[in-house]
Amino acid sequence: MKFNLKHSIASVVAATFMSSAALASDLIITFDDLNPDKKAAYEAAVEAFKAANPDINVTANNGDREAHKDSIRNALQNDAPDVITWYPGNRMGPFVDAGLFMDISDLWSSDPNLADKFNAIKPTMSRDGKQWGVPYSYYQWGVYYRKDIYDKLGLSEPATWDELLGNCDKLKEAGVTPFTIGTKFLWTAAGVFDYLNLRTNGYDVHNDLTAGNIKYTDDRIRATFANWEEMLDRCTFVGTHATMSWQDAIAPFANGDAAMYVMGNFSVGQYKDAGLTDEQIDFFQFPEITEGLPRAEEAPADAFFIPANAKNVENAKKFLAFVATPEVQGEWNKTIGQLPPNSDAEINSDDKFIVEGMATLSTAAGLAQFYDRDAPAAMASEGMKGFQQFMLDPSKLDEILENLDKVQEEVYK
Amino acid sequence: MTSVAAIDRFATSTKRAFVAAIVIALCLFALQLVTIEGMQSWLDVSRQSAARVPTFLVRISLIICAVAAAFVFVTSLSFYKRNKVAVAPWLFLAVGLVLFMIYVIVPIFQSISYSFTRWDGLYDINGVWTGEWVGLHNYKLLFQDPNFYTSLKNNLLWLLLFMLAVPLGLFIALFLNQTVTGIRMYKSLFFFPFVISQVVVGLIFTWAYNPEFGLLSEIWSWFFCETKTNIVGNLTRVCSPEPPSILGDEDTATFGIIAAGLWPQIAYCMILYLTGLNNISSDQIEAGRLDGAKGWKMLRHVILPQLKPATFIAIVVTVIGALRSFDMIATMTQGGPYGSSNVLAYYMYDQAVGEGVGRYGYGSAIATVLFLIMLVYISYFLWRMYQDEVEAR
Repeated sequence: MKFNLKHSIASVVAATFMSSAALASDLIITFDDLNPDKKAAYEAAVEAFKAANPDINVTANNGDREAHKDSIRNALQNDAPDVITWYPGNRMGPFVDAGLFMDISDLWSSDPNLADKFNAIKPTMSRDGKQWGVPYSYYQWGVYYRKDIYDKLGLSEPATWDELLGNCDKLKEAGVTPFTIGTKFLWTAAGVFDYLNLRTNGYDVHNDLTAGNIKYTDDRIRATFANWEEMLDRCTFVGTHATMSWQDAIAPFANGDAAMYVMGNFSVGQYKDAGLTDEQIDFFQFPEITEGLPRAEEAPADAFFIPANAKNVENAKKFLAFVATPEVQGEWNKTIGQLPPNSDAEINSDDKFIVEGMATLSTAAGLAQFYDRDAPAAMASEGMKGFQQFMLDPSKLDEILENLDKVQEEVYK
Repeated sequence: MTSVAAIDRFATSTKRAFVAAIVIALCLFALQLVTIEGMQSWLDVSRQSAARVPTFLVRISLIICAVAAAFVFVTSLSFYKRNKVAVAPWLFLAVGLVLFMIYVIVPIFQSISYSFTRWDGLYDINGVWTGEWVGLHNYKLLFQDPNFYTSLKNNLLWLLLFMLAVPLGLFIALFLNQTVTGIRMYKSLFFFPFVISQVVVGLIFTWAYNPEFGLLSEIWSWFFCETKTNIVGNLTRVCSPEPPSILGDEDTATFGIIAAGLWPQIAYCMILYLTGLNNISSDQIEAGRLDGAKGWKMLRHVILPQLKPATFIAIVVTVIGALRSFDMIATMTQGGPYGSSNVLAYYMYDQAVGEGVGRYGYGSAIATVLFLIMLVYISYFLWRMYQDEVEAR
């Protein structure tokens, strides 16, 4: 009897473990966007994944984007989910270097989608020759402008630097401020800097600068700033930009006081919320500055990563492969109004900005992430302060560049 | 009889100590067993994400249980019974002291030790610290860093200008110290800003300063602006000169934030002085009046000396308020434009944690310098308190 009791307990325990082993197929995903459309797209994808994999218990978490930037450190080191969102480029650098993200190069070589359809974005997802994440979305940057104002003044989309400056002169004559911008949170100024740098010096110089191989006092970077000074002079920005966020800066654009905005495609929804229609706004690529330079573009991507501490790695990889399929990529980006990194995915052809963005990015010679994602955070934070200072007072240029050199020397050690 | 009772008492108290010791041991043992996986399977919530499992709750209850048992254990020792008067205060202080050690004293030394390293705040997958020792390098950088001097200068500006709250608070208190109908309501209205959260005060002032739609630009437009129709037929405002962009200009941003901070601080000083004025002895005023004192002389020689304790506290809280300026800066400018409204506390945050910059070593060096500066003030304050106690004896 005694023996039997022990035996039965043992068998119960064994049964529990076996049954849990058969069912123990969990997947915990942490996402970081609560904006309605982003949230909906994420949840739809998770539902589709559940339907395709009924044997996996999916736990889908979602949180605020800014809070995620802080909480990810803790999540990766202690209570890691199986899949987590983060930014590619240099922003993933610290986590990759500390061994907190899992190397998924095997998935990139074995999965048919990742192996063939993500070539444009692959360098961004790579570090030390290995791949670390799977992008689910990206978007183009460029100049959004008031088509009605352009038409009224008989202007056309500029293809060259001189045409842009000429347009600015005419806009100012008509009492319109050429550009709006809000630099309170700094990164908007980095967008302008990146484009001026990409058009003045090209993709390689952008990468060398953000990788710390070129000094800020280099003549090439000075040439970029010289162009920026010309732009500040002839294409004035709204005067109070240092106190405005990027959303605040839409007000003068919507009211017709400013005619152009260097921005990312995520802003289109906000223009429409401000009362502008598709007829009133349009998009052109930042014009050529140095003739014959291969055209590189800004195209920041959002991606999923597998933490090194993840417990259900197989399921996590299954999910990443699922996210990489053209159907999911297409659906996801139609919902959020952005572009799918998978080149086979369908895009929303009714949205002229998406169509134009796809055309722009698929023909680009190189895709930059963004100054604050390509450069390490410590460099980017000082760099962007410098850009804002330059926009407010171009005469401080030497001081700013020398300070940035000092920071660069320290950060890239 | 007595000896039997004593033995009995001794036996019960030993038993109590024994039980208490076992409880402590059990609690500490159980503490080792509490893991996320264990809790998940015990509560059958394996589908929940790790963050939602109540591990922390269980752990903290075990610790509280252990502390309570330890209390019982110590009080049942015969050593305690013999030295009750000397030991009891320390027993009550113990919990506070331990927490103070863990959350204040130890981190101070940790932070000082980090200031000699270069570290991005991360541990690798095995929990190994990823930084490297760099000696005094961070301090060398700090003393060449223009942002550091800007922050230091702003800290001084805060300390100096924030002191205005004391005389202004006194002035308002004197003004409100009358008996007319509804004076309580006026007092409450003046005190009101102190009740609002600093963040809200910061936001209100940010909007008021906004050069596009703020209160100041609204007033500005009465004098310097006219409304015109722009190219697409919308109304627009054209000003000459342009309205000042207070928080967007490096010369005025700090002053703008200090002014916002002064608003609740004046209210605080006012309430301190109002209570002080309630306690002023009317005999002395009477006597002063008989000697022909009035107006400024009365204030300077009769009233102010009696307000000395209130003045001391007002100065202390104002200095602390000036050093706590962090939340105002975080809500109003985030240290901008380009770092010109930083103070040391915000710069430290910006370098270490802000936007994932992750220069923990450098941030710690700033924290250490800030700590040393504060130490001067804190030492003076403690010395002053000590002197007062000595005098009072």
